[in-house]
Amino acid sequence: MNDNTLSRRELLRMGGLTVVGATFLAACGKQANVPESANIASVGVVPPTTGLPAVEVTDAVLMRTAASLEYNAIETYELVLSSGLLTGDYAKLSDAVKRFRDDHTRHADAVNSLAVQLGGKTVTCGNARIQSLYIDPAIELITASGNPDAGVDVISLAHGLENLATQTYQGVVGLLSTSQLRAAAMRIGADEARHAVVLAQVLNPGYGAVGPTTNETTGKANVASVPMAFGSQASVQISIGAPNAEGAKTTVAMETPSLNSLVYDYVSC
Amino acid sequence: MPTAPLRSAPSERPNAADSELLAFAQGAELAVHDLYTKAIDSGRFTGDELTMLEQFAAHHLAYAQSINGLIGKDATNQRNAGVYGAYSGQMTTGSAAYRTLQALENTLVATHTDILAKLENHDAAVLVASIITVEARHAAVFGVLPNLNLASALDNTASSIAPASNAPAATSETTVAP
Repeated sequence: MNDNTLSRRELLRMGGLTVVGATFLAACGKQANVPESANIASVGVVPPTTGLPAVEVTDAVLMRTAASLEYNAIETYELVLSSGLLTGDYAKLSDAVKRFRDDHTRHADAVNSLAVQLGGKTVTCGNARIQSLYIDPAIELITASGNPDAGVDVISLAHGLENLATQTYQGVVGLLSTSQLRAAAMRIGADEARHAVVLAQVLNPGYGAVGPTTNETTGKANVASVPMAFGSQASVQISIGAPNAEGAKTTVAMETPSLNSLVYDYVSC
Repeated sequence: MPTAPLRSAPSERPNAADSELLAFAQGAELAVHDLYTKAIDSGRFTGDELTMLEQFAAHHLAYAQSINGLIGKDATNQRNAGVYGAYSGQMTTGSAAYRTLQALENTLVATHTDILAKLENHDAAVLVASIITVEARHAAVFGVLPNLNLASALDNTASSIAPASNAPAATSETTVAP
């Protein structure tokens, strides 16, 4: 067979492709009574695509995110102090709570200062996603009527937030571009870890509660002052709210800010 | 035809300057481990208190072992004689031992943070950061137990002992298998 000749089968295949192509092009063309759109023409009105701003994970963004977490903590401690949740044995913790709040204010100022030095803007509000995903639901559980343990639960929330802050600073060490910034982050991260220990000892006091232990009834890990040999990056779990029929509280699992919850340059309070 | 790699590429080894700093950190960790051992062997602590000290001692050995894995043949695997000698005579009573061990933990936090400010290697920075958070917890525990002293738990006034250049000589007490 000559190379320039087409078999009957090839001719049929080409004809089929031509029909399909013409149909496709017709679908793309202007049609009567269909609104013009930048999208590919289709039946009905297609909503415009939601645009996201171009973002980049920079050192400034990481510092802004850290500042937002500091404000989450500041606002939570302010709520603890103003809500009257620290009652009974927990009333004596008000001095510690004030100290923690003041430390977080100092930390926020420090990381905001670094963000500005890096060309970013200061952040003076909590991380919206952390607030809506974890803190608001936790506060709702704690303050719900019928919760007999609001005092201890609010300490659990604070303990969880301190662990979350510790992990965040430890985690950004792997992302920051300079050794000086890494050290600056860990100066603050170490402070948060110390806060966590003080609160852990309120929740589960004594030498026997320093290392990891397990609740023999529930099989869950007890609160520990030093739960592991190395700083963890696992999710932080707290048990709060009114106990259910079996006596179990609601577990809230919190994770450090990720790519969808960083405080990028375009995010404002 | 190119083939896909079977595993990710190995991490870059720390450079000479980083290795020197990490070797110092390892010597300090081994010295603190040995000081915990001295406190444990003193007979002053029992029960949960003793268990806690044993856990903290094990943590410091784990840090030394991790640094050993990171810097390999650059590790001295021997305790820092200066650190051990400066503190070993101070643990004369139970409370004195606690004060000494807290001071050591605070010093390690300051030293490792100082070292972190100089490290270029990514993996080394991540490891040191994971050590700093737990050593800060150790220090805070000594401020909370047996009685809460908020300032003692939260404030760290210790200074870094990290060298600007060469690490001091080490003795051959506790060693980590190379």
